[in-house]
Amino acid sequence: MTDTVKLPDDIKPVMQNGIPATVVTCSADGIPNTTIISQVYYVDPVHVALSFQFFNKTIRNVRENPHACVALNDLEGATEWILDVQYDHSETEGTIFDEMDMQIEAIASATGMSGIFKLRAADIYRVKSFRKISSPPASSRE
Amino acid sequence: MIPGKILAFLEDEGTIGVSGTRDANLIPDIHYVSGWSVEPDQRTIRCSIAEGHTTHLLSSLEDNRRFSLTVEKIGSHETYQFKGEFVRDTQPSDADLAAHKRVRDRFAKVVSRLFGFPEDLCRAYIPRPGLVICFTVREIFLQTPGPGAGRRLYPPEEK
Repeated sequence: MTDTVKLPDDIKPVMQNGIPATVVTCSADGIPNTTIISQVYYVDPVHVALSFQFFNKTIRNVRENPHACVALNDLEGATEWILDVQYDHSETEGTIFDEMDMQIEAIASATGMSGIFKLRAADIYRVKSFRKISSPPASSRE
Repeated sequence: MIPGKILAFLEDEGTIGVSGTRDANLIPDIHYVSGWSVEPDQRTIRCSIAEGHTTHLLSSLEDNRRFSLTVEKIGSHETYQFKGEFVRDTQPSDADLAAHKRVRDRFAKVVSRLFGFPEDLCRAYIPRPGLVICFTVREIFLQTPGPGAGRRLYPPEEK
């Protein structure tokens, strides 16, 4: 666990590598929910935005219990970034929304999901902490 | 009981798995998954948790037993989430290691093809199992992107 909540610059390319991320939330009655998401957007050193595309359990959960855990995949760096975050607010217009909408369209087009991926809101989360988990080098494996 | 179509998906098609728990304060956590298999009762999934991802895992499971596993077929986006209760933990068996290798090889093949990374790099991204979590599946949800995402498949939703 780090001592600061400020995200370092080297997380930015990981958020832009096109590899899906994961978010875990928890309902008020204590059921965890694990979802694969197409995009995590860097807002500033202490905030990220997740795409709200469907009316789903993740959305309901963070409005009941704002805590969430996000994992980003850095294949080239053989590292997973785990972010502990807290839901802050949603935006349905403005710069962040427009940029995320454009990126979602590009991801949808590249993955054959045009017409299915549609950004409803950019959900803004405050980063509480983060940690990096490095995979052992390939040479140490079978 | 896990439906046959989804059993086949788990056995032959899923390429990436991620699991979730929460602690006594309802704070969620993510645990990367190295592989999975279904026990003969067709209700219990053996979920191999990757080395490095077991921190706080057992303390959370001993507190509340809640566990969720999401498995996706990269490429088609076919995805299911399994929610259930922790039964026991165990060290990886030879069968768990074999399941890990099958998942790792499927992952490497498809990610290499879709994202252009060398297969060795992709294979190395799925770590060896550090611990196996056995959990009883209580609910299965469709998570393939689209309007049906979030629909409960098992037990079937009432109409």
